[in-house]
Amino acid sequence: MSGYLPLQAEVIDIDVESSNTYLISLRILDSDRNLVYKPGQFLMVSVFGLGECPISIASSPTREPLQICVREAGRITKGILSCRIGDVMGIRGPFGNGFPVEKMKRNVLITGGGSGFATLRSLIDYIMDKREEFGEVTVAYGARTSQDLYFTSEYGGWQRAGIVVGVTVDVTDSSWKGNVGLVTTLLEELNPKPGSAALCGPPMMINAVAADLEVRGFQYPDIFISLERHMKCGVGTCEHCTLGPYHVCREGPIFSYDKVKGML
Amino acid sequence: MRSFHLPRDGLVPFLDGLNKKLELIAPVMVEGEPVFVTWSGEKLALDSENPLASPVEFFLPQEEVLFRYVQYSGRYTFEEEEPRPRMIFGMRPCDLKAVEVLDRIFGSDHLYVDRRKSTVIAVLNCTTPGESCFCAQLGTGPGSEDGYDLLFTEVEDGYLVEPGSPAGTLVLRDYADLFTEARPHHLAEKKKRLDMAEDAVRRSGPLISVPLIEEAIEEAPWEEIGERCLRCGGCSFVCPVCHCFNVVDRGVPDGERLRCRDSCIFSGFARMANDINPRISQGERLRNWYKNKFVYLPERTGLVGCVGCGRCSRVCLGPIDRKGLLKEVGI
Repeated sequence: MSGYLPLQAEVIDIDVESSNTYLISLRILDSDRNLVYKPGQFLMVSVFGLGECPISIASSPTREPLQICVREAGRITKGILSCRIGDVMGIRGPFGNGFPVEKMKRNVLITGGGSGFATLRSLIDYIMDKREEFGEVTVAYGARTSQDLYFTSEYGGWQRAGIVVGVTVDVTDSSWKGNVGLVTTLLEELNPKPGSAALCGPPMMINAVAADLEVRGFQYPDIFISLERHMKCGVGTCEHCTLGPYHVCREGPIFSYDKVKGML
Repeated sequence: MRSFHLPRDGLVPFLDGLNKKLELIAPVMVEGEPVFVTWSGEKLALDSENPLASPVEFFLPQEEVLFRYVQYSGRYTFEEEEPRPRMIFGMRPCDLKAVEVLDRIFGSDHLYVDRRKSTVIAVLNCTTPGESCFCAQLGTGPGSEDGYDLLFTEVEDGYLVEPGSPAGTLVLRDYADLFTEARPHHLAEKKKRLDMAEDAVRRSGPLISVPLIEEAIEEAPWEEIGERCLRCGGCSFVCPVCHCFNVVDRGVPDGERLRCRDSCIFSGFARMANDINPRISQGERLRNWYKNKFVYLPERTGLVGCVGCGRCSRVCLGPIDRKGLLKEVGI
């Protein structure tokens, strides 16, 4: 059987995270087994007739069901978001390396912004379910506006599990009572203890946060960033996702910052 | 393994016989140009320059069906095609080297592997190299040393035929009456002809070596070279090692998922949704093209991603003398 044949997955639930971002719960139809994956890995998700694109897994492997968080950004994601409960999409994977969770079992800072935060939610839930294996855990999450924040109903649960949660927005409006400013200003307030870090976001933000963390005593090899690239195969052959010598789909999408510093 | 001699007038009966059992792919003239096609008895084009479209395309076609999807009440069934047994006759040594690189890249790709396993490769040693060739400089030709199932070398009165695998030997077995045991003078003539071909390539071609090219990649004025690039992608579509591809669907609700060749020098190749592009300039993309062949692929596969076939130079409308990168930077 070809590696390009997808499994069929039925949409069993859709949560609206923002006007153009949905959290979609899936049940795999073609296999009795659940998907075995790690936080930070991704799937190639397809709508038959439109095509396939890489989407990070938003759920933790410690939980059911399998979830993906999709923001409308192009033709295929638009197709995914137009699905209804009961519809079938194709999935292949999991692909990529995922976060090195064994190496991260100490103080952890999880920080980032944008739609890449879905992959960090997988890690947060994973840590929550294995809470005693980790040290102090801090989440510092930034979005453009309060309307762009995802998983807002879950922050309370994270806090009850002993995770420090800080949220900030770049642009405020009348309904927002929280922090305003970049994630780096939030870090100033939360003052996370050195350990390992998981980052996502645009390159400028990653570089700024990594520089900030270095001052706080984090080491670059302990700072893990989740990268996004255009992908077509998921296995390092189509060459769309290359970053210098790396295939982001295979050697990534999680890289320690020392490996990709200067290439972002 | 034993070597054989096939008289010139035995070639067509041999291929004719094989053609009844498997799909035979060989170079013939189409509108004045040599092209590898599924052979049905046309006059073979064995003396002309290596065809511009490499026979590697029979392993990685410009477009192929990955699978068909058929929808029935909201659920899908998938259909895949079984590969057919084939023989490619007349592949040149440089292209065989390209297959060797692709084998290492696509080693886990079932479609590629199945097709590769069901194909016998009969290489024709290159005794008439073209003007753009630089295989001798890279050690990828003009003769093949291994990796083939059958190796043909033109000699005065026919062909020296050397099997390189059990599959190759088995192909010959049914036509034993066409072949005789090779004689020492056939082997001597092979050596003489290949030595002459190698001299010709070295004389006409530039002084190229992998370390020199690596150096040139670092120094080349990429932005200026990028200005001259017409962005046609021709170099990547004729390169036997280039393998960038796109995956697209055709058809609703039933249809097929296709793998189509793509090119990393196209501006939209790495572009993500929301118009984020990690390689913005044409110069950056061309640099990546070279760097992948001469630095990244060797790191990844142990083999250089250029086989010296010179097709990129033949096809470039640029004008960018692909093999002349060294000239561009004055080395």
